[in-house]
Amino acid sequence: MSQNEDAPEEVQLPPVLKASVHDVRYFATLLRGVNFVNRATVTITKTGFVVVVEEARTLLGTAYIFANIFDEYTYNSETPPVPQDSQTLDPEEEDNAAFEIPLNTLIECLNIFGTAGSSAPSAGSGNVTGKYKKWKKGGDDSDQEGDDDTGSRRQSNGTGSTRGIDSYFGNASDKGTGMRMTYAGSGYPLTLLIAEDAAGPTTTCEITTYEAEPHLELPFDPSRMVLKIILKSSWLRDALSELDPSCDKLTFIGNPPPAVPVNGRQRPQPRAANRSPMLRIQAAGTFGSTEMDYPNDRDVLETFECTRPVSFSYRVGHISRTLRALQSSTKTSLRIDDDGLMSLQFLMPSPKAKTDGAMEAFIEFRCLSLDDELV
Amino acid sequence: MRFRASIENVNTFFRIIQAIEKLQKKCIIKFSEEVMCIICNSEANEGGIQVWSQIKVDSLFTSYRIQSNASNVITMALSSEALLATLKSASTSSKSASAASSYEAEEIVMKLAKKNNQAVLSFEISGMTRQGRKVRVAHDVKIDVMKPADVENLKEPMCPEPDVHIILPPLQKLRPIVERLRPMSDFLGVRANNNGTLQLSIRTDSVTVDTEWKHCKNTNKASTGSQDPDQEPRDPDELFSVLVSTRSFWKFLNSHVVSTTTIACICQNHCMILYVYVGDLADAGGVLTFYIPSQLVDE
Repeated sequence: MSQNEDAPEEVQLPPVLKASVHDVRYFATLLRGVNFVNRATVTITKTGFVVVVEEARTLLGTAYIFANIFDEYTYNSETPPVPQDSQTLDPEEEDNAAFEIPLNTLIECLNIFGTAGSSAPSAGSGNVTGKYKKWKKGGDDSDQEGDDDTGSRRQSNGTGSTRGIDSYFGNASDKGTGMRMTYAGSGYPLTLLIAEDAAGPTTTCEITTYEAEPHLELPFDPSRMVLKIILKSSWLRDALSELDPSCDKLTFIGNPPPAVPVNGRQRPQPRAANRSPMLRIQAAGTFGSTEMDYPNDRDVLETFECTRPVSFSYRVGHISRTLRALQSSTKTSLRIDDDGLMSLQFLMPSPKAKTDGAMEAFIEFRCLSLDDELV
Repeated sequence: MRFRASIENVNTFFRIIQAIEKLQKKCIIKFSEEVMCIICNSEANEGGIQVWSQIKVDSLFTSYRIQSNASNVITMALSSEALLATLKSASTSSKSASAASSYEAEEIVMKLAKKNNQAVLSFEISGMTRQGRKVRVAHDVKIDVMKPADVENLKEPMCPEPDVHIILPPLQKLRPIVERLRPMSDFLGVRANNNGTLQLSIRTDSVTVDTEWKHCKNTNKASTGSQDPDQEPRDPDELFSVLVSTRSFWKFLNSHVVSTTTIACICQNHCMILYVYVGDLADAGGVLTFYIPSQLVDE
């Protein structure tokens, strides 16, 4: 990618990335999910892009944003096409463009008109209470049209999870902000063209990009996995939001489910107090500790796999970094390997209908456990 | 020295002071027979912003009486915070029905008085509770009456003939944008031309953001032309720019509570003058004039 010497000779190289979207809110929500450190590494490929943020060499946040969330997405490889002898290389791995960018600045720029939903996750579904719905703006005449449009699209998304009716309103009645993004190549800024509507102002942002530096790698090996849970995000969100701010350590305790597979709805009969819980989240701090147990119920834990009793602790400060992504997600997958490396994946519900084969965007966090707590 | 008036339009008065209070905790008010001038000219203001406003007496007050030895002008320095609190109690009481103690302000009389050897501006609010009982609330705001010699020294900033006059988009639309820009840069570039284009931009090491409006209205084209007939007509697309402190521009935007129309004038690389009209442009009850000097930055 550093081979740029011959770039000036070819006068009009197509930009490496050209993407546009008529409503930036979903894109902004995904970025906001990993916005806990300002410097992010962005890797652009043909299928979309990946935003990686790390903290304290312990926590890694990754947002996978696929090309299908954009109305238009064109990637032109910066490296000249290599002759066919390089078949050993995996094209998906090799062909990308990477740079570092001040993530907070990018998000602020997307939200320049205050319409990219700063506090509330734009797609706060699964949140049946509609606690986070946005205020409807007064004098918004596109109300009706927007409602119909989004509503029908949503309904066609038959596989969608339980969305409260409230979530339709806050989202649909707001006019979105459109964006066109280009990245000319290494050394060039990321250029954003943002406009609210044809009559309103247009904003041009040029965000300086920096050369990507190698970042922390925390590979998760599924063969070493000892605990795997899939649950509705609200179940985890409610638990984590109960935590007292003075707590500094969070322990996840998992025990293999009882050997006899019972009918999903039925709880294993008398659960004595001393019986080890299937999943317990324990928080400890200066002023005491909290324990939260999850029942062995299919309604709560959609998937629960645990090979042996595990207990790993994490810093609350790190886990709380995931809250913003957790809040805007529908489903969470939590996995822990035998070293205590935790992988949290949050499925981010897309406002668009899911076209077949397209993946929904998700955000992943990987976090190393605290050393002193091994079983 | 005598001064007495009843406040007719308390909400407008409240909003004007609200905009002023954000800028400066103390302000100077000069009452004359025709106009009320509110002046904020502290040197210590953020980015050197100053306000010189003129509000027509008729638009706020009725039964207005003023008498003084200094040709019927009374100038006083007072705390804008205290004045705001007073006006709030007079104005919100007429709107909000939530508080149990709420009452309808029927009449608000403002007068100059002396209490315990201290000059005060005394506000007497008489009203009716919702139970139908009469109430009277009095607020005294301490003031310092300024000597005529000191008043003489108050001078509006001198500015050259502006290069461009342009009507700004509604300030409520500008606010969210400047709110985003504020943490990114201390300096804000404002550019405009005589063809309806307005740009706000910041430039830092990590980001450049330009926001552009087209089809704004220019005013005073004729007067600029007649100023210097020999001068060859200027290119209407030529942009004139000024670099101001982002925070002082933000403070100016606090006047969105009172503004209907705002005209921005740019004196290239010198200053920016903003006329915030209170009420309709045609029948303006007054105007708040903000002066924001240009900032010099090594680039």
